[in-house]
Amino acid sequence: MPTVLVEKDRCKGCGLCVSACPSHVLAMSSEINARGYFFPLVEHPDDCTGCRYCVLVCPDLAIQVENKGKTTAPPEALTEKPMHYCPGCTHGVIHRLVAEAIDGLGVRERTVGIAPVGCSVLAYEYFNVDMHEASHGRAAAVATGIKRARPDLIVFAYQGDGDLASIGMAETIHAANRGEKITVIFVNNAIYGMTGGQMAPTTMPGQVASTCPLGRDVTLAGYPIRMVELLKELKTPAYLTRVSVHDPKAIMQARAAIKKAFQHQVNGTCYSFVEVLSTCPTGWGLQPHEACDWLRDNMMPYYPLGEFKTPEKGVVKETER
Amino acid sequence: MAKKLMKGCEAIGEAAVQAGCRLFFGYPITPQNEIPEYLSARLPQVGGTFVQAESEVAASNMLYGASGAGCRCLTSSSSPGISLMMEGVSYIAASELPVVIVNIMRGGPGLGGILPSQSDYLQATKGGGHGDYRCLVLAPSTVQEAADLVMDAFDLADKYRNPVLVLGDGLIGQMMEPVEFKRSTRLEDLPAKSWATTGCKGRERNIINSLYLDPEVLEAHNWKLVRKYEEMARTECRHEFWSPHGDADVLFVAYGSVARIAKTAIDALAEKGVKAALFRPITLFPFPGDALEKAAARVKHVLVSELSTGQMLEDVRFHLGKHRPVSFYGRVGGVIMTPDELVAEALKLAGKAG
Ligand SMILES: Cc1ncc(C[n+]2csc(CCOP(=O)(O)OP(=O)(O)O)c2C)c(N)n1
Repeated sequence: MPTVLVEKDRCKGCGLCVSACPSHVLAMSSEINARGYFFPLVEHPDDCTGCRYCVLVCPDLAIQVENKGKTTAPPEALTEKPMHYCPGCTHGVIHRLVAEAIDGLGVRERTVGIAPVGCSVLAYEYFNVDMHEASHGRAAAVATGIKRARPDLIVFAYQGDGDLASIGMAETIHAANRGEKITVIFVNNAIYGMTGGQMAPTTMPGQVASTCPLGRDVTLAGYPIRMVELLKELKTPAYLTRVSVHDPKAIMQARAAIKKAFQHQVNGTCYSFVEVLSTCPTGWGLQPHEACDWLRDNMMPYYPLGEFKTPEKGVVKETER
Repeated sequence: MAKKLMKGCEAIGEAAVQAGCRLFFGYPITPQNEIPEYLSARLPQVGGTFVQAESEVAASNMLYGASGAGCRCLTSSSSPGISLMMEGVSYIAASELPVVIVNIMRGGPGLGGILPSQSDYLQATKGGGHGDYRCLVLAPSTVQEAADLVMDAFDLADKYRNPVLVLGDGLIGQMMEPVEFKRSTRLEDLPAKSWATTGCKGRERNIINSLYLDPEVLEAHNWKLVRKYEEMARTECRHEFWSPHGDADVLFVAYGSVARIAKTAIDALAEKGVKAALFRPITLFPFPGDALEKAAARVKHVLVSELSTGQMLEDVRFHLGKHRPVSFYGRVGGVIMTPDELVAEALKLAGKAG
């Protein structure tokens, strides 16, 4: 029988595991853990089917599931350091997916990651690989420098939407256009998280942010930028895809896409870019599970998921996605 | 190696290759285009890589990445482009990475002009970007010296894990002179860089970073950098003292191209019965202040001359103290003084103006 193991002091009480569990195995505690958060209790252990959705959605790697003698172990490409992200922020989930891809391809010892400026500025504390902290927006340029210096290394840039699509737009487009053999993980949470919730180039029309208190006015700020669509117009071959991490199914698809992106680099095929729709419960002023629903209902219609370009097929038609 | 007639910019490019540099990142700007042009052809011949970046901001950050990965790398630009590079340079200095940057200065501010200038002295020697940091700054006055200093720049950058700036002006970059490449570094002889991000196989992982959220740790890091700059000041100061006509009355202080003009003026002055000498800083940071003080102690008049409105002048005044009168003669905007102008200035000082 599967067993759910909760490392309660890693938990930040976001409750995403409770909402994700299809069998209602988990419920939030009424007492708090050492960090001052409520945490999930395994209320109905007998109902667990071993689906591991709780493991997938937990941004803090606080849950493992043991099933048929096998335990889901945190990836080697992540350090054990608890992450600093707000409760329910999906940066942690994306970190794990990237780390799993690195482990899965067996390239941890020849990988260099680039941390951006943004909420994930401390990513160098979490990825258990050589890391290089870039200035705001320049991760693609730093990645270019590393990859050109050492083409044998696996180089990835992990960037937010302000970092990549605003201040780092030029570096992003030109690295893609040169066909740098790097992997870019683009975390689109439709807001500037780190600086306190200002409008991002990806903020949705009408979405309230601290520098558009009445909602994004597209007549003044323009429409949110769709990076994958923009990049797919470049003639240079690339792997361009958009995924989401708002629910377990989407997370599984994201995991496959991120692995594919790294695989392209390992094979030396092309530039690879994965846009990951991500939540910012704090910046959006929503509960973590509400933020996941908001992403699904508001971001996904505007930012459709799927592969937009592959080195084999070129631009993928909308009907094929 | 035999002497070759080469343009300053091309000699700089070749010197970098001979120093073991295999990576160049840059963006075109006059009057230094011959550096990227030369290297775009030359680097592939030695298995190196040339990248024409989308901007100087990007170029400086590519440099940041490549040096982090442990490779000797170069960028070059001219004044407006160097301003854009200041972001990368500040991060490179903070992360203690070795890079070499060449600035072939042109007239400013703003878009300015494309003719020679020395108006980036303060930017070069006082940090340039944000934060408390310094680049080691070398100022050649001949094409041969430009080649020599570029080679030294790579060694100094590695020695101190610090950006080294080679500060030339449009004259040095554009003129042709005979040049000899005095040494050739083999890549396998370069010192290993245990701190570089090369993949963590068989060791603890390396992190290149300039973020220190704990103020006390950041403060300690700042003072550590200062100790490095102090060490440079103790061991790396370089200058030339040129006094071919015996005990001088007038001491010119000039660097780069202006020092050459001063030499012509000094010979002309000797014929007019005025003995003059030249003090030429070769390192602008660290500034050879002690040597200047000694040289100035023996003369009546000190005359600083620059292709600026008086930037190195501030350092000269600082080292000689406020009681020591220091005169200044500068031309700017791309206008270059003639030896006659310097002769006339010196004659005025010596009380022999006609
Ligand atoms: C040159 C520069 N400009 C501005 C900032 C301030 N700043 C830090 S993070 C950030 C926005 C980050 O937002 P995003 O990239 O969307 O990432 P998130 O924090 O949402 O993950 C800004 C503007 C900076 N550090 N450097």
